[in-house]
Amino acid sequence: MAKRSTGSKVFDTLNSFLLLLVAAVMIFPFLYVFSVSFSSVSDFLENDIILWPKEWVTDAYEYILGSKAFIRSLFVTVYVTVVGTAVNLFFTSTMGYALTRNVTGQRTILFLVLFTLLFSAGMIPTYIVVKETFLINTLWALILPIAISPFNLIVMRQFFLSIPEELKEAALIDGANEIQIFSKIILPLSKPALAAFGLFYAVGHWNNYFAGVLYLNDPAKWPIQVILRQIVIVNEPNAALGGHEMSLEALPPPETIQMAAILLATLPILLVYPFLQKHFAKGVMLGSVKG
Amino acid sequence: MKFKSLLLLFLIAILSIALIACSEKESAGENPSSKDNEGETNTDIDPFDHSEKYSITGMTFRFGDPPPTKSPGLDLINEKFNIEYNPQIIPQGDYVEKSSAIVAGGDMPDLVGFQANDFRFYQWAEQGAFLPLDDFLHHFETLGGIPDHIYDAFKVDGKIYGIPRYSQPYPLTPMVRKDWLDNLGLEMPTNYEELKAVAIAFTNEDPDQNGEDDTYGIAIGENINPNFNMGAYWDASAWYHQNDEGQYIPGIISEGRKELIQFFADLYETGAMTKDFAVLNWADTNAEFYSGKAGIFVGGVAGMSEDYMKGLLEIDPDAEFVSIPPFEAPDGSQGFTMGSGNSGILALNANMADDLGKIYRSLELVDYGKKFFPKDQRNPDNPDFDWMWGLEGTGYNMEDGNPVRVPNFSSDGLAPSTYFLDNREHIPSDSQPRYADDYSLPAMKDLVNSLQDMFESGQLYINPANGVISETEQDKGADLLQFIMNEQAKMIAGQRPVSDWDNLVEEYLQRGGADIINEVNEGINNKDYTDHQWD
Repeated sequence: MAKRSTGSKVFDTLNSFLLLLVAAVMIFPFLYVFSVSFSSVSDFLENDIILWPKEWVTDAYEYILGSKAFIRSLFVTVYVTVVGTAVNLFFTSTMGYALTRNVTGQRTILFLVLFTLLFSAGMIPTYIVVKETFLINTLWALILPIAISPFNLIVMRQFFLSIPEELKEAALIDGANEIQIFSKIILPLSKPALAAFGLFYAVGHWNNYFAGVLYLNDPAKWPIQVILRQIVIVNEPNAALGGHEMSLEALPPPETIQMAAILLATLPILLVYPFLQKHFAKGVMLGSVKG
Repeated sequence: MKFKSLLLLFLIAILSIALIACSEKESAGENPSSKDNEGETNTDIDPFDHSEKYSITGMTFRFGDPPPTKSPGLDLINEKFNIEYNPQIIPQGDYVEKSSAIVAGGDMPDLVGFQANDFRFYQWAEQGAFLPLDDFLHHFETLGGIPDHIYDAFKVDGKIYGIPRYSQPYPLTPMVRKDWLDNLGLEMPTNYEELKAVAIAFTNEDPDQNGEDDTYGIAIGENINPNFNMGAYWDASAWYHQNDEGQYIPGIISEGRKELIQFFADLYETGAMTKDFAVLNWADTNAEFYSGKAGIFVGGVAGMSEDYMKGLLEIDPDAEFVSIPPFEAPDGSQGFTMGSGNSGILALNANMADDLGKIYRSLELVDYGKKFFPKDQRNPDNPDFDWMWGLEGTGYNMEDGNPVRVPNFSSDGLAPSTYFLDNREHIPSDSQPRYADDYSLPAMKDLVNSLQDMFESGQLYINPANGVISETEQDKGADLLQFIMNEQAKMIAGQRPVSDWDNLVEEYLQRGGADIINEVNEGINNKDYTDHQWD
């Protein structure tokens, strides 16, 4: 190895230092949330917690895990995420693939897809569509209206286009039909793309909260994000702007519980990242380079 | 081409959905006039006849968690009123959007709740979406007993369209740690100079006598809240001051407010108020006071949190609280501002107009939810109260003569009370409740008694802007208020000099404030409010 100049060493050290600093800035909020969630309310109120709990207390977790609503909503979210992502991948890949073939009206369909990417309907028209299709108050309302993301569809199509035509021709000669080509040749080759889009979609479903508020009337069907918001934000009346209607009631639960809820709601989806990281990074570049 | 016909089909579908949505709205709009006439011809129906079963839907907002959609409490209501009741209770933060979507989707429920001053109420009432209630209210005990001057705020073209949700006439006003005052041998402040001296003494002279420099004066949070007005003269949300043309102006740009901002700026400089007030939310602001750090905060006769108070008493068992009486203003006035009289509105869907029986049943339901139970009737011996709270042993238990809700009271929907869209008791003006009765902690009782005595012995200013709706205010009001709050917070923190006040007011006026003032004054003139009114 060539000897490195002092300047290069200094540069590296400085770089590492700066990056560590940036990392610390990112990690600090998580650590704070973590510490507060394991602290007692009085320690928190006295501002004794900075990086580490003064005394380990699991009250907040006992409270939350003892709450039926929280556990139920966690299951709802897992269900919506799993089923929703499966639906997303199925429709995105099949439509994306179909649009790479010579289908009549292919260009028009593509144009329509692009159109929704540029101009999306507002909240109320979408609400009316969901209502007129009898999806209100069903979990399908969280899945079907966003079954295909136009952006992902186009990138997926681009990815399929990058698979050499010769592979398909060879399969065709061997007697495979379009469905066989798609399921036996194309899909196995597209695993990284599927993993990446799966992650995009799954995170989207996991974090989706407004659809839950808008389409679900029964609190028993609420996903975790809606419950989380109830715990953390909704109980706080915007006092000053409400003038005399400022209220001292309906105060939110203690911060320790809020923090525990945040952690419990974030952790599952966070744990998915390390496993898909490799594909994820690859996925971001999808369609950018053809070759 | 196949595709073209598909596209055509698609467009037709979209168009027809749009048409359906529009036509439904229109039909709602046409109804009210025909309904009026029928209301007059059919008044011979007995309002309390329950022989026919009705289906009644409703929606409203709520702070806190909505209850389940199937529950014992709901069953009790259905049985008692012989109805199929379907209330949608929506978290307050999402209410405006969700209710707009529901109404635009063509499904306006039979009963529609609004937050106070929601412009949509007036807009929709004007468009004929709601039922005029004038002919019906007198049949009902609580609804009929609400004074006309309160209904005035819900009139559109001379007809009552809304039912007010009760709110305290007594505002939240400043309170102080009495034990700290006593420890330092200080008197109750009677003007801002003295209040400043107290706040500074609380900061520097160790009022809790623990030998540590860990206390300060005033607990305050984002949006300069609480606003610590010591009378209507300084109240940012009251329309008390008048400009050169005799128009009322909002408190936020008044001379009184300027004085108050200067007061805060002085405190900020000496460290006698919350340092990071600009980023502190309401819960954290409460925590500043209830953790024993700050000595001055606000309290009210209703809605105080005993849990918070209990926390403070654990830290400091000797803590005592007392309200600060209003200061005499430079113009000689003395007194806080009265509450607006409502904290929400309930309206009935106009498409009920042809069905007098349903109108009566709906109003009976609304009326029942607002029923007031004086202290001596809050027990199982009163069957109405027992029913309202979900029956003794199920919804609540009696402890020391007071009803106490079971922990899953609302989360499991055990009691009917949870499901009334407006379930806030309407306290009749002739009853004299002692608010302290609602609390169990002695320190809290003392505080609430001191507040109530103070309010009852003094006068309260009637804000002329109550119930006055300005379109510009609805449009730009919130942004404008946020803007001026931010600028005033800068003045407190010393980032903008208070001497720049006149420029700030000018900016406020130019950004829409002038229009708001004109529109609100028009409304004030319409209700013949000229000189300051006190009660």
